[in-house]
Amino acid sequence: MHSRTRCYLIPTALLAAACAATPFLNDYVRYVATLAAIWAVLAVSFDVLLGYTGYLSLAHGALFGVGAYAGALLTSRAGWNFWLALPVCGLVAMGVGIIVALLAFRTKGLYFAVLTLGIGLIGHQMFFVAEDWTGGVVGFVGIPSPPTLPFLTLDPAGNNLIISLLLLWVTYLAAGVFVRSPLGAASLAIREDVVLAQALGIRIAAARMTAFAFSAFFAGTAGALFAAISNFVAPESFAVMTTGFQMVVLVVVGGMGTLWGPILGAILLTTLPETLRVASNYSLLAYGVLLLGFMLFAPAGIAGLLKKAWRARQTRQAGVTTPAARPATEGVR
Amino acid sequence: MSLMSIRNLSRSFGGVHALRDVSLEVPEGIVLGLIGPNGAGKTTLINVISGLIPPSAGNLSFNGRDHGPWPMARAVGYGIARTFQQTRVFMGLTVRENLRIAAEAGHGLRRDVAVDSGLDLEPFYDRVAGELPYGVLRRLGMALALAVGPRMLLLDEPAVGLTADEIAGMGRAIRRANESGLTIILVEHNVRFLMEIAQHVAVMDRGQLLFQGTPAECQGNQAVIDVYLGKGQADAER
Repeated sequence: MHSRTRCYLIPTALLAAACAATPFLNDYVRYVATLAAIWAVLAVSFDVLLGYTGYLSLAHGALFGVGAYAGALLTSRAGWNFWLALPVCGLVAMGVGIIVALLAFRTKGLYFAVLTLGIGLIGHQMFFVAEDWTGGVVGFVGIPSPPTLPFLTLDPAGNNLIISLLLLWVTYLAAGVFVRSPLGAASLAIREDVVLAQALGIRIAAARMTAFAFSAFFAGTAGALFAAISNFVAPESFAVMTTGFQMVVLVVVGGMGTLWGPILGAILLTTLPETLRVASNYSLLAYGVLLLGFMLFAPAGIAGLLKKAWRARQTRQAGVTTPAARPATEGVR
Repeated sequence: MSLMSIRNLSRSFGGVHALRDVSLEVPEGIVLGLIGPNGAGKTTLINVISGLIPPSAGNLSFNGRDHGPWPMARAVGYGIARTFQQTRVFMGLTVRENLRIAAEAGHGLRRDVAVDSGLDLEPFYDRVAGELPYGVLRRLGMALALAVGPRMLLLDEPAVGLTADEIAGMGRAIRRANESGLTIILVEHNVRFLMEIAQHVAVMDRGQLLFQGTPAECQGNQAVIDVYLGKGQADAER
């Protein structure tokens, strides 16, 4: 099968399988799976910026919040249809993201991370301050649930799960198109060596801005869906040290620079605290320990470990010398 | 006809004058060898032409148009590509991914570069660049520059650190690129290697252009012998 076809068929088949399994799950499992899917949307889109372009943004928790509050305002106060509000919330977050990026891309490396940390903190505080729009510390209540999908007779929990899975499917395919495009190639080049990228004529500003805008758009849509599913949002959901930090952990633990790794990270790190309920109060501590462990012992994340295991299995089966073992002079004329 | 004209180019780093009033014509389709002792300003000149650093004064024109100093990404758009003295490739990516990025940057014009350049990179396509031997990395660096489809290629010491066989292979690849119509500026300390390939030679010393002419004229020039070649070297090259 052609690799590009496989890139579309496999996620589509997995989506179909997950949708088919939904009616057989209880409401609690559906709820956890819905959260995992929303986190996976965040992680996949965030990986386009962090894993493929090499920029660590700590402002994305606030961008997730921008999408959530935009969704709350549009659907509950302005009376917009959820399906229209969803992409518009993405565009609102993308617009804010572009402004953030214009400021943040004046710096690089550690300074970029610290600057976006500052922006994330400001964004979080703005959700408290702008009470008329956000409900302040009390939160925004009464956000309408997503509408029931046509042709499906599911209860709200099942409906929410399928909508979340659909958004994840769209995000995954869109991220796949991005990373395989010339802009994706340019992003990889920026991550690896900015000077060489410039020497090859790559337009650095355009490529990294597109990656930032892409990740902001899907953070916004994920926020809008989160708000609709929760029927309530409050500023603490969008703090740098919770959401912003969690996004980094999902991508690092899942595997930076792969699109499926962050999904595994999101599934693991959403289901693990739920499975180990006794440890739920220590979830941030558990995240920190996991991050530390992966950074030290498996920097390529779960995806890296699986790839390594797969290569080792193939080598064993083939019983031939690996390419890495070829003599160093091979191919030299 | 000149593909590039450099007029009165200067570049200073604080009180150090790396380039002083350099003027140089680069005819289209030639290999121009650029030699000189360490600190002569060769790499600075390459850096200014490729847009990595701006000049302090002077002007550059390419393909008959005065573009002045240009940023590096725009230089590639005009048709100027370069390699680096310290090998620069995307170390964390495979050779295939490296070439894909360069081909995408060059609008996919030279996807087949690894095959038709004679750089013999096919056996290494699926290997991560960081794991490759030095000689292969030098060839990959040149392939990346070729893949963007330039009209002029700036090679900064492509033979440094290579074995005799690898130098011969690099020489063949440079000739092949030149025969396909590419204009090349070749900075190199390996004078024998350079004299075999270059049709014109420019010699720099302490930021100034000392000499420009054919390799034979260069080897007979007393100022060049005094500053760079030395008598024994010049006799050996003849």
